[in-house]
Amino acid sequence: MKTSKYNLSIACGVALVAIMFALSGQLPAQTAAAKSSGSSEASSTPWSVQIDQVDPGNLVLASSFQIAIYENLVEELKKTKRFLEVFREGDLNSSEIPNLLVLKTTVEKYTPGSETRRAVTTVSGATKLSVRSQLLTREGKVVLERTVNGDVRFFGSNLRVTHNLAHNIAKTIKQSYWSGSGQPTAILTGQL
Amino acid sequence: MNQFVVPQMRRQARRPELRAVSTFLAMLICSGLAVQAQKATQTQRGNTSAPFSTRATHLLGFSNASNNSTGTLSVQDDSLQFQQNGEPGVKVKIASVRDVFLGAESKQVGGLPMTLGKTAAPFGGGRVVSLFAHKKYDTLTLEYVDGDHGIHGAIFQLAKGQGEFVKSELITRGVTISSRQDQATKESPTEAKHENK
Repeated sequence: MKTSKYNLSIACGVALVAIMFALSGQLPAQTAAAKSSGSSEASSTPWSVQIDQVDPGNLVLASSFQIAIYENLVEELKKTKRFLEVFREGDLNSSEIPNLLVLKTTVEKYTPGSETRRAVTTVSGATKLSVRSQLLTREGKVVLERTVNGDVRFFGSNLRVTHNLAHNIAKTIKQSYWSGSGQPTAILTGQL
Repeated sequence: MNQFVVPQMRRQARRPELRAVSTFLAMLICSGLAVQAQKATQTQRGNTSAPFSTRATHLLGFSNASNNSTGTLSVQDDSLQFQQNGEPGVKVKIASVRDVFLGAESKQVGGLPMTLGKTAAPFGGGRVVSLFAHKKYDTLTLEYVDGDHGIHGAIFQLAKGQGEFVKSELITRGVTISSRQDQATKESPTEAKHENK
């Protein structure tokens, strides 16, 4: 009787240890699996973007500059390959896309320069633009917010500032990370 | 004495031929000028049936046309066409044009070769050249929609004064202009001050 009790307690102990081992192995695997599935979901979620027209804010910015920023943004964001599709404002196809971000650009500062002044003096006549770029979800939640600058200091026409600015915005978006679920983990604000 | 008389006689003999040739040349030049004037007035008349065309540089955004390319911008029937030299034209329906804006820009002439030349010029000679080597252009900005209603923008650079013709031609053909003001007269004061010629 005593031996049977002893054997039972040993069996229970072994079973307990076996269960503990099994659980200890399973839990990290589960967390790893969960982690990997979560991260893969975040990284592989095919996001698309819709680019809205540039809002000049209270500033007087030539329509050619606004259009040039918009067109250059479309080109530069396509080049990043960060998004599944890049839509223009008003595109009817964007309404069917489930994961869509909207890029809004508001002009904050504009310094009109002069190509002739740049060519004559080298140090003055720079054309400068500073914009606030926001990536928003369909519901209007801000996922990414940055202030980005662009300028032409030496060579090139004044319109070249729009290309430089769009390139910087695309670079900022490419280097940034946002949650795959569309919920902002942290609103990224900063300046480039 | 005779030596002087003979060439003079020859000259007199040649005169009717010369006169005929010069008359013919003058007529040719006059007819050429008349054709040019007729073309210019045709563009200004705003006749909806007559095609309108002008030289332009496409800066960006017009359908599949390559950026910074020079060609002919024309308004034909119901479409706006840009045709590069020796290449098929790119068309956009006039009905899809939502807005037209005019602007003015001043640019350094000569492009990259001129810039390199000015940089290499000794004693800052290039800077002096830069002071005078610039030209004013009209910029024509179009806003149009594609088949999916996506908004596009295109910018053309035209010779000074030509932008107004294109704009009026487009208005004649039914393009509506928004309340946003043109920038033709909105050049920055500093730029205007430094670049008025």
